[in-house]
Amino acid sequence: MSYYDIDSILTDAEKIPCTFQLDVPDLGYLDNTPTQTLKTGSRVALPLWLAEMLAIASSSGGLDEQGKSFVTFDLPPALGNDVVQALKADPRAVPLRDQSAHFYGLATHMMDLSEEQELATVLRKTYVTRATEIALHARKVGGVGHHGKSSADEGSNLGVGGAGEEFLRGLDERERRLFRKAHDGAKAGKEWMENVKKH
Amino acid sequence: MPMYGDLGNKLVQHAKRAQNLAQLPAYQTELVRAVTREVRDLDRDVASMLEPFQGSFDPAAEQATACTLLVNHLSMRRNKRCLLAYHRTRADKLEELVWSGSDVVDLAGQQQAGAAANSVPAAANDRQSSSLSPQEEDYVRQYGDLLAAYKGQWTDIDLTGSLDPPRDLFIDVRVLKDAGEIQTEYGAINLTKNSQFYVRQGDVERLIAQGYLQKLG
Repeated sequence: MSYYDIDSILTDAEKIPCTFQLDVPDLGYLDNTPTQTLKTGSRVALPLWLAEMLAIASSSGGLDEQGKSFVTFDLPPALGNDVVQALKADPRAVPLRDQSAHFYGLATHMMDLSEEQELATVLRKTYVTRATEIALHARKVGGVGHHGKSSADEGSNLGVGGAGEEFLRGLDERERRLFRKAHDGAKAGKEWMENVKKH
Repeated sequence: MPMYGDLGNKLVQHAKRAQNLAQLPAYQTELVRAVTREVRDLDRDVASMLEPFQGSFDPAAEQATACTLLVNHLSMRRNKRCLLAYHRTRADKLEELVWSGSDVVDLAGQQQAGAAANSVPAAANDRQSSSLSPQEEDYVRQYGDLLAAYKGQWTDIDLTGSLDPPRDLFIDVRVLKDAGEIQTEYGAINLTKNSQFYVRQGDVERLIAQGYLQKLG
């Protein structure tokens, strides 16, 4: 997660619901009302890069003991109760991408900001279960070998047909990277083996 | 609802797309300009907001102002990150292209010359239609010089050469684009489009990498 990491930057653009804890006259535009004061208690979805610092910074100027932050935040819908229950039931059945294209990035970020032990456990189990499934699909695709040149069209199309398509469409960015790595690895290994046989 | 940082985000999405492409897409001059303008506007806002305080601003007393200032500051910082990441992604890509031996500046010129259907000589290409910004062209040129100087230290080894050992010393090639006359150990060859030659691989490796020749068989 370097400063220049494109995916990390895009993850920071994910929005989370925030509640303002004070009136701010000049920030009405955040709530779509540019001419009005942003009132205490206004609920606004703010991108992580903004919400995080606003939630941490205290409005009473630094190291004060009764420092109140500018905003409080809640978990985004992508990590809401519905999703968590579904993940508990079967991690493989949830298209994470529909929740957020950077689901795990968002989730780890939220874990840094709040202490949700149970959620962390669910997420860890989700990742492990799904990773196994991803590896399985990645092997299958490499094995069939109906996918001649892949270096050029490696972008977002994963070039898969059949049963796994539904599942693979629901992968978030991190899982897609994992899939691509597993797939390329299996393919390179196979190519190398064939080369060895030839000579 | 447009918000500060939205344009920067668009820029980063362009960078994300560029990561997966073989060629470098066009430089987003307009978008870069718009993001820098946004930073300048924000900076002006901050300056005018702080002006009445004459350098004695107390965040505890002026919480609303402090909050606005923080939002503006974070927006500027965000934009800076987006701008830097965008340019760095492209610079990385350019370095990669230089190492792989493709003549980046030349390539951009040719694409554009092809599109213009030979109506103007390639030398007359203007900067507008190149996919690089003028600064990037400069960067490529200087990086190329650096690489050449670095490679020049070893005359026996071609650092950018192919890592696969050649199977045959001589290969068949087809000429895809006119490349003029080249000198080889066995005399001069005139590479005109669509002709075919049996040449020493070492002599034409670079031309293949640049897309002038196609290896057959």
